[in-house]
Amino acid sequence: MRAVELKGLTYTYSAKTPFEKRALDNVDLAVEEGEFVGLIGATGSGKSTLIQHLNGLVKVQQGEVIVRGMNASDKKSLKKLRFAVGMVFQYPEYQLFEDSVAKDVAFGPKNMKLDKEEVERRVRRAMEVVGLPYEEFAERSPFELSGGEKRRAAIAGVIAMEPEILVLDEPVAGLDPVGRREILSLVRKLHEEVSPTVIMVSHYMDDIAEMADRIVALKEGKIVADGTPAEVFGAREKLAAAGLALPTAARITDALAARGIELPRTIVTARELADALAAYRTARRTATPADADGEGED
Amino acid sequence: MFRDIAFGQYYPTGSVVHRMDPRMKLLLTIMFVVAIFFVNTYFGFMLTAAVLLFIILIAKLPMLSVLKSVRAIIFIVIFAAIINLFMIRDGEVLWSWKVLQITDQGVHTTIKMTLRLVLLISGASLLTLTTTPVEVADGTESLMKPLALIKVPVHDIAMIMSIALRFIPTLFEETQKIIAAQKARGASFDTGGLIARAKSLLPVLIPLFVNSFRRADELAFAMDARCYNATEKRTKMKVMRFGVADFVAFFIIAAYFVAVLLDRYYFGGTMDSLIFGGLV
Amino acid sequence: MPQIELINVSYSYRVGEGQTVRALRNLSFSVERGEFVALTGMNGSGKSTLAKLLNGLFIPSAGDVIVDGINTRDEERTFDVRRKAGMVFQNPDNQMVATIIEDDVAFGPENVGIPREEIIERVDWALEAVGMSEFRTRSASKLSGGQKQRVAIAGVLAMKPDIIIFDESTSMLDPEGRAEIMGVAKKLNAEGITVITITHNMDEAAQADRVIVLKKGRLVLDGTPGEVFASPEVEACGLALPPATELAAMLTQRGFSFEGTVTDEDTLVEGICAQLN
Repeated sequence: MRAVELKGLTYTYSAKTPFEKRALDNVDLAVEEGEFVGLIGATGSGKSTLIQHLNGLVKVQQGEVIVRGMNASDKKSLKKLRFAVGMVFQYPEYQLFEDSVAKDVAFGPKNMKLDKEEVERRVRRAMEVVGLPYEEFAERSPFELSGGEKRRAAIAGVIAMEPEILVLDEPVAGLDPVGRREILSLVRKLHEEVSPTVIMVSHYMDDIAEMADRIVALKEGKIVADGTPAEVFGAREKLAAAGLALPTAARITDALAARGIELPRTIVTARELADALAAYRTARRTATPADADGEGED
Repeated sequence: MFRDIAFGQYYPTGSVVHRMDPRMKLLLTIMFVVAIFFVNTYFGFMLTAAVLLFIILIAKLPMLSVLKSVRAIIFIVIFAAIINLFMIRDGEVLWSWKVLQITDQGVHTTIKMTLRLVLLISGASLLTLTTTPVEVADGTESLMKPLALIKVPVHDIAMIMSIALRFIPTLFEETQKIIAAQKARGASFDTGGLIARAKSLLPVLIPLFVNSFRRADELAFAMDARCYNATEKRTKMKVMRFGVADFVAFFIIAAYFVAVLLDRYYFGGTMDSLIFGGLV
Repeated sequence: MPQIELINVSYSYRVGEGQTVRALRNLSFSVERGEFVALTGMNGSGKSTLAKLLNGLFIPSAGDVIVDGINTRDEERTFDVRRKAGMVFQNPDNQMVATIIEDDVAFGPENVGIPREEIIERVDWALEAVGMSEFRTRSASKLSGGQKQRVAIAGVLAMKPDIIIFDESTSMLDPEGRAEIMGVAKKLNAEGITVITITHNMDEAAQADRVIVLKKGRLVLDGTPGEVFASPEVEACGLALPPATELAAMLTQRGFSFEGTVTDEDTLVEGICAQLN
C-alpha cells in the first residue's frame, strides 16, 4: 500500500484578500511504504503546509490527500488517518504539558481510546526507544529535563501512537553536537523499528544527504526536484534556481573542479568524497609514470 | 494567518486623516463620543451622520470597512432595541398584545438609541481604521503625561502597552502551533460538555503559559542588557507635533459639538419639527 | 591592558532547597580589543552563564570581571558596562520590545537619554550597518529569523558598543540566517568591534580567531581553531569537529596528509590540490 499520495494539491492562505498567498501549487507526490524522504526548500516554500496536510491539520482546498488508502477529506476516517501519521513539529518540547513524562507520553495513546494495558505498554516502549528508561523517567516532570531529554520525551509522545508514517520538522534545530547526533541516530532507529515511512524536513543538507533515500525539493509551492540525493544534488543548476544549498561534500567537489580536479557531481557525503579522492589519486599515480615513460621513448 | 494582527483594523490609505497626530485623533474621538450622548433630536443624528460621512470621504475609507465594525455589535444593538421597544410605556399606545405593548415614545427612543449606538461605533472605528495600535499607544502615553505629576507610572504603563502589542502576534502564532501539535496527538477541542471542553484546553494553555514565562524571562534580560531604567531622563526618538490638519479637524469637531449643544438646549427640537413636520 | 579580563571567576546559583549548581569554576582569561572569540561547549557547560557575566547581567559569586577597566561589581557603573558590551540573544522573538523596527532600534539610546537628533542619526546608521534600512517602518513580526536578529544587532549597535556578545544568536536560524548573522559579525569585527560569540555550531567556531572551550564550568581549551580542533579533548567536551576537519581526517586515513589541523573548506581544497597536481 502507498504510504502517502498527493494529487493536484493546491492551497491558498487568506484567499480573496490583499494578503492572499499560494502556499502549494498543484503538488503531485507519491511516497511508498518504507521510504525515507527528505523534504527540502527555503523558508516559506510550502513545506510546513504540505506536511500539515498529511494528517488533516489543514483542510484540503483543492486536490486530494490519500494516506494509506484513507482520503483526508473524508471526515469519517480523519481520526484514523491522524493516528497513522505521527507529527514531530519544530521544537516539539514546547508542547509538553503534563506533570510527569509518562502521563505526557500517554496523551496520544489515550486519545486513541486504547485500553489501559495497551497504553501502558506503548508508553514504556516509546520511552525505551527514545532512550528515556521508564523506571528512571516515568515520574519526573518533563519541565525539569535537559534540553535534549525534553525533545526525546516529546518525540516519545508521538511514537507512542505507533504511527506507520513519521513526519519530522527540523528535528535537530537548536541542539548542540551531542544532542544532534543522538536525535539523528534516534530518527534512523525509529525508521527501522517503529515507523517504516519517514518524511524529514531539514535545512541541513549534510544530514539529508546522509539519511534520506529520496529527496523532494519545494520552491514557491511547487516540487522542483525529486529523486535520490545524488540525482537531486547532482542537478546543480536546478538546485541553485530553487535557492537551495549543497551538502558540504558537493560544495567541496565544485571547489575542486574549479581547480581542475574533476570528480563526479553525484558525490553528496563526506565518505563518498574521501573515497573518490583516494581513487582519483591512485588513478593519477598509475597513469602519470606511464605517460612519462611514453614521452621518454619519443 | 498572513494578516498582521499587530495592525489590528488599520486600513492604510495614506490620507490626511491617517497622517494626523494620534493625540488629536484620540482627543477628537473622545469629544465626538461625548457629543453623541448630548444628541437627542433627529436633526442632531443627521448632523452626526453627515460629519462621519465627511470624515470617511476625506480618509478615503470604503464604507464597508466602517460597516464591518458595526456588524460586530449588531446583536447588542438588536437586543437593546427590542428591550427598549417593549419596556417604555409612556406615551400613546400604538399596539398591544397581552402584557406586551408598544408606545409612540418607545418607538422614538428605540430609533434614537439605535442610531446613537451605530454612530458611536462608527465614529470610534474611524480612529482604529486610520491609526495603528502603536500610534494609539504612543498618543495615549503622551496624553497621560500630566498624570505623572500625581505619581502615576505613565512610562511603565506605556511600556506594558507597547510590549503587549508587540507580543500579540507572537503568542497568537505560538497558540496555533501548539493547537496543531496537540491535534496531531489526537486532541479534540470541540466535543463533550462545557467541563470536558475546558479541560481539553489544558494541553494548549499549559505550554502557552510555560513558554510565556520563558519569553518574559528572556525579554527581561534583553531589556536590562539594553540599559532599561538606566536613567530617569529617558529620551524619545519620536516626537509628536500638531499640524495644520490637526487644527482644522479640531475646529470641525468643535463646531459640531457646539451645534449639537445648540440644537439640544437652544432650539430644543424646533429643527426636528421644521424638517419632519408632524412626524415627531 | 586587555579589554575584558576574568580573574578567578566562579558562579553558582541555587535550585530548590540547599542545592547549588556551580555553573562556572575558577575561570581566568582575557580578551584583547578587536578579537573575534568563539566560546563553545555542550549544553550545561556554562557558556551562556559566562556570556551574562561579561556585561553585568550576572555578578560573579567569586572573582572579578573587568570590562574596559570597570569591575562589573561596581553597581554605579553597571550601565556603563552594558553600553560598552552589547548583547544579542538567542531567540529573535524574545528580545524586541517594539512592534515597529526603528522604534526597537531606538530603545537602547532612549534608555540612556541620548538627545533625539542623535538617536535618529544612530538608528539610521545602525540599520544601514546591518542592511535593514528599507525595513525601518515595518512591523517586526513579518521578518525572517535572520532579519529579526539583524534588527537586534542594530539595536545593540545604536548604543555604540566596543564589544558585541552573541549569545547563541544563530542557533534558531536556518543556514541562510546563520550566514547573514556571521557575515554581519565579521564585518563589525573588521571595523574594530570585539566579537564574542557563544555557539555550539562548530563551523561557526572555526571561523573565529580564537576558540575557548568550556566543560562543566571549567576552561579546558583556548587557542586558534587549528589548535583547539587538533586536541583529542574536543570529543570529550561533547563537541564535534567542523565538517572540513572531519573530511581532512577521512582523507588522512586514505593516505593524504595535511599541514596542521584543517578547519575551513578553503584550506582543505588548497591542501588537496597541492597533493594532486
